Amino acid sequence: MEKLGLNLGYLLVQITMFAVIFVTLRAWVFKPLLAMLEKRKRVINQGLEDARLAGESRANAEQDAQKIIAEAQAKSNQIVREASERAEHASRDITHSAEVEAARLLEQGKKDVEIERNRVLTELRGDVAALAIAAAQKLIEVNLDEKRQRTLLDEFFSGIRSGKVTLLENASMAGKTAEVTSALPLTDAEQTVVKTDILSKVKGTPTVRYRVDPSILGGLVVKIGDTVLDGSVAGQLQNLKQSLE
Amino acid sequence: MLTGDIVEAAKFIGAGLAMIGAVGAGIGIGLVGQGALQGMARNPDFYGSILSSMILGIAFAEAVAIYCLVIAFLMLFVL
Amino acid sequence: MTARKKWHWGVNRWWVLLFIILNITAALAFKPISPHIQVAPEKLSHDPLFTLPVIGDFYLTNTLVAYFIVMVVLILLALAVKRILSKSSLEPRGIAGTLELLVEALYNITESSAGKWAGAIFPLFGSIVLVVLLSNWIGLIPGVDSIGWLEYSEEGYPVISVIPNFLSAIIQGEVAEGGTGYIVTPFVRPVSTDLNFTVGLAIIAVVMTQVIGFRAQGFRYLTKFFNFMDIFKKPFLGFMDFLVGFLELISEFAKVISFSFRLFGNIFAGAVLLFVVGSLVPYFVPSMLMIFEFLVGLIQALVFGMLTMVFMSMATQGHGEHGS
Repeated sequence: MEKLGLNLGYLLVQITMFAVIFVTLRAWVFKPLLAMLEKRKRVINQGLEDARLAGESRANAEQDAQKIIAEAQAKSNQIVREASERAEHASRDITHSAEVEAARLLEQGKKDVEIERNRVLTELRGDVAALAIAAAQKLIEVNLDEKRQRTLLDEFFSGIRSGKVTLLENASMAGKTAEVTSALPLTDAEQTVVKTDILSKVKGTPTVRYRVDPSILGGLVVKIGDTVLDGSVAGQLQNLKQSLE
Repeated sequence: MLTGDIVEAAKFIGAGLAMIGAVGAGIGIGLVGQGALQGMARNPDFYGSILSSMILGIAFAEAVAIYCLVIAFLMLFVL
Repeated sequence: MTARKKWHWGVNRWWVLLFIILNITAALAFKPISPHIQVAPEKLSHDPLFTLPVIGDFYLTNTLVAYFIVMVVLILLALAVKRILSKSSLEPRGIAGTLELLVEALYNITESSAGKWAGAIFPLFGSIVLVVLLSNWIGLIPGVDSIGWLEYSEEGYPVISVIPNFLSAIIQGEVAEGGTGYIVTPFVRPVSTDLNFTVGLAIIAVVMTQVIGFRAQGFRYLTKFFNFMDIFKKPFLGFMDFLVGFLELISEFAKVISFSFRLFGNIFAGAVLLFVVGSLVPYFVPSMLMIFEFLVGLIQALVFGMLTMVFMSMATQGHGEHGS
């Protein structure tokens, strides 16, 4: 032991010296350094965490922006589509209504034209009829001589006799005055014919009065009470005119 | 009790014989190095940890040689 | 053009060459003498500094001087680090930055093997590494192991006077008849070549291992050594367990020897190697050995610290909970 140099005193001294170094180093070097390392690690981790969060939030923001842009695009697309649809719709409506209006106008126009034409035609017809009748009257007035008058009367009577003219059948003539109007004064023979042929068919015996009116042009007008039997040329002309109009 | 030069000679012989023990340590260190190098070559990622383990193992193996050396020194310088 | 500039010797080669030539001429002029090798540290004082009642006389030894130097350097370092750290909180500058690198690397190793007990284990680990590192490297400083008192010795060497009455040097050669031979007792000798230092450090390491074990597991830690329980449960294997526990107890003491002699042997062998080679082949080879010793000193410091740390972290884990 002596030659090895092992010595309890030196051992203890060196142990205590190591203890001094140990305490000093622990207090002044290791603890502050480890605390510093820990703190730095924490700071770095904090920084990394912050950076990660920032990155995440940036990614989120980008995503949001993307989403917003996409939404905006979709919305704008929709708006455009709606607008174009509406415009199309509106244009179709307008076209349609314009067509309808045009058709209506056309129709109206056609109708108006029709009406107008009808009116004009009617007017024309009236005028034509009036002219024709006037011309016919003139003609008839010129041509109706006495002989033809007598023929007309005969036709009338023969018509009544043959049953062609079936007026005044069974009409009550009691107490009423029968008025017979003719263009020429009737002969006695004719008056009796009137009495027998016309008035025989009615019941009762009316008082007959004879009147002469050249405006009926020819033929006879028998008026019993409210009933008129018009066998005159003027009346036939009138009928013609009415059928013309 | 022997005295004289024969004691000196015996010391030297003894020290030399003591150092035979270093053979084992040499073999051990060689095996440790071989294993460590193979491990490092197989997976270089663990270079650092293998290196520290290797140094520890070499230190253990070397300790045997060091004991021999200490005995040799004791014979040479102390006895 | 950021291509890495290829390193070349430049002016350094001429410095290296110059020093090699100087080395050779100096070695030729004054042949180096192998110093007196002894295991026990040399006493620097003839009279004891003080005498303790039980322990005995207490001399100042050259390893103690080295230890003081180590201590002063470390305390100054600690002071500097403390001052730097109190100033800048997160960015250590200067020496603190260098130390921070070491501390961080060591702490990461500790954390990977000790887990939550890293905080308790690490200061001892770091202190041991730093102290052993400086103790190993102090032997590489020129003048350590070679400057000291001249002492009379029968196997001494003749002396020439460099500066009269102040500085003398021993030289190779035979002592003249009737003259006195001298040897050098160096003022400073690396602490790690002192068995007191290594044994003391080993005792600290082993004792602190037990302390950590008790702190971590309480009195259950004792079952590692005195395993009575299993004897009653399973007669044969339990007895084996008891013997194993006994072996564990012995191995704790063996650890002291293992720790102390590993460090001592490595550094003392390195010193002896430097002495012997320095006296046999003093040209250029000792420089290479110096570099080797530099590496050995670092590795031994790390090994001492890491073994302490590993044993401690093993002590924190219970007998049956190795897996966790």
